[in-house]
Amino acid sequence: MVEERRILYEHLDVPDINTFDVFRQYDGYARFEKAIAEYQPDDISKMVMDAGLKGRGGAGFSTGLKWSFVPKDIEPRYLCCNADESEPGTFSNRYVLEKNPHLLIEGILICCYAMGIETTYVYIRGEFTLGKKMLDAAIKEAYENGYLGKDIRGTGLNVDIYSHPGAGAYICGEETGLIESLEGKRGQPRNKPPFPAVEGVFSKPTVVQNVETLCNLPFIVGNGVEWYTKMGPTYADTRSDPPTPDPNTGTKLYCISGDVNEPGVYELELGLTCSELIEVAGGLRGKEVKAVIPGGSSAPILTHYELDTRLDFTSLTLAKSMLGSGGIIVMNETRNIVDCLLNIMKFYAHESCGQCTPCRWGTPWVRDIVQRIADGNGRKDTITRPKFGVAENGRWGDTGETEEIYEDLDLLESVANNIANVDTMTWNTICVFGIAVSWPAVSYLRKFRPEFEATIREGKLVTLPIAEATVPPEENYAYQQRFVPKEFADLEQPSEE
Amino acid sequence: MSDELVQIETPFAFNEENQREFDELIGRYPIKEAAMLPTLHLAQKQAGYITPAVMKYVAEQLEVTVMKVKDVVTFYPMFFEEPVGEYVIRICHTLPCALRDCKVVLEHLKTKLNTDVASETNLAKGTTVDGKFTLMKVECLASCDVAPVIMVNDDLYKNLTPEKVDEILAKLTS
Ligand SMILES: Cc1cc2nc3c(=O)[nH]c(=O)nc-3n(C[C@H](O)[C@H](O)[C@H](O)COP(=O)(O)O)c2cc1C
Ligand code: SF4
Ligand code: FES
Repeated sequence: MVEERRILYEHLDVPDINTFDVFRQYDGYARFEKAIAEYQPDDISKMVMDAGLKGRGGAGFSTGLKWSFVPKDIEPRYLCCNADESEPGTFSNRYVLEKNPHLLIEGILICCYAMGIETTYVYIRGEFTLGKKMLDAAIKEAYENGYLGKDIRGTGLNVDIYSHPGAGAYICGEETGLIESLEGKRGQPRNKPPFPAVEGVFSKPTVVQNVETLCNLPFIVGNGVEWYTKMGPTYADTRSDPPTPDPNTGTKLYCISGDVNEPGVYELELGLTCSELIEVAGGLRGKEVKAVIPGGSSAPILTHYELDTRLDFTSLTLAKSMLGSGGIIVMNETRNIVDCLLNIMKFYAHESCGQCTPCRWGTPWVRDIVQRIADGNGRKDTITRPKFGVAENGRWGDTGETEEIYEDLDLLESVANNIANVDTMTWNTICVFGIAVSWPAVSYLRKFRPEFEATIREGKLVTLPIAEATVPPEENYAYQQRFVPKEFADLEQPSEE
Repeated sequence: MSDELVQIETPFAFNEENQREFDELIGRYPIKEAAMLPTLHLAQKQAGYITPAVMKYVAEQLEVTVMKVKDVVTFYPMFFEEPVGEYVIRICHTLPCALRDCKVVLEHLKTKLNTDVASETNLAKGTTVDGKFTLMKVECLASCDVAPVIMVNDDLYKNLTPEKVDEILAKLTS
């Protein structure tokens, strides 16, 4: 069985680790001291780039690359730490804030040193009252001990950290929504470009980084790049010649919930498979896995055929899903996929910020269609139409068979794909919330179509046995890329020593 | 919003302690408007909910129009424009909690409190007659590992069952 590899969470349960003195006993701030004593700011940026650190908040964008976009000649620059954590199924940042807030402060200090930033805002979701209290207390202690404020440790470095509460809106987790919200406005995302790295909060260059991403920094600096890159797989991206390394390095705070015996946060090296993670989390609660959501509710669903998918950025992208925030939600054989989709669509319909017409109207529309189906009123066309395909004579045309049309299912897919098209990956909206809506809608429908059809046919929620409910990968073009990974045809793991 | 309307309300001003906190807050940002959310949280804590008088006061403090404050207040679910109960009970009903039977807990709360669930535009619907509790549904509270969960004001309660709900309510009403 795969072993937990606790790095960020190693000292999480040490009593009083939230206090400065205890944190100091466990190497606390030593890594920051090492950074300022031994490295120039640019060295740190290079280390982060070489370590292959990817953002843990959702997009999985290379942190080093993001830092390289920040213009160094515009003052002041800002760091916004994203502690909005609202993606359903995600709960790892909460424990950092509540139990080990000094680790986050150390990460912020290292980032500020590397980027020449003097002001950081930690945007904490409004419901995290305890987390905010603990972080505020830790910030106060850090000021008192000379690790924050003016001229830190006599180096001339100035850093201020302020916590900033949100007020219950999911969309403020999106980086530009966060920035708008921080400026005291409605949290409505901005058009990009300009990207926040160039023009962010108060129109100044801004680095937006998730809590977990920042907490990785002390360990990269403290233990070195070589140590860090030994964790997790590095693939070879053969789309370029010569192949470029595609790192999925480090650990991930996997949050697992739903039908497992021991839900919780498990820190593991990136790259273990879905079934391995379920084992680590005490095994399945139930008989069989019906479906797994691998990266928060926005991620396309995986079927029981796909449980050997490795939970890292690259593998999940190839499986046409995403690692997202690392929130894994497991569903067993008793679950009804239509019902699950309804729950998720209610969430998105509630959380759309309302700026873009396709999202504002499309999302409630999708919800209403799913509601109608779940209520047993799904529309089915009673006429059967000729089924087109490759006919007996080998030509395209009428196959002589007939098929039933499930009007609402076609409508569902069409409305969702008009918010954001999951096949072309183009969206008609300002932010990628649109994709977060259509990805689940379309993937649930395509992968579990028989269950949707049965529900419409019978006029009530029907939960089919797993084998009948799931569309096999060969028949489903949503899986296609997984089996014909053209660009990644030679995707390989380098030998591990 | 006309001045007439505002005057019917009792005027609002920060008490001494909150004024001190506000003065500290305002120094954190290069523009005053950025202190909007923390200021509104502070004001709501003092006034119970965001009245027109509160909006007017906050607008003056932050040097923005009242409309701008209203704009923000209506966007965020955590700001109330109507009175709420002494204890606000938020129950999570997103997928991971739903997989752990949050519905049972919700139904139990509804019967015990003898109230419906508040909607964003009608908080009174979820408030008990004695004004002690307001029951509302919220989205994922980032505690799915200990689902189902509720938040009572600032406190989180985990792994709920109807029995545990009874205990919590008994403690709050005693
Ligand atoms: C709708 C939406 C919600 C998001 N919510 C969060 C969130 O709650 N926490 C978070 O860290 N990132 C969230 N993100 C991702 C951020 O936009 C951004 O990519 C991230 O904070 C960057 O930090 P990272 O590179 O360290 O991951 C969200 C994105 C979208 C589109
Ligand atoms: S896609 Fe939706 S959430 Fe994003 S900006 Fe547009 S309306 Fe707002
Ligand atoms: S779904 Fe209820 S806490 Fe996450």
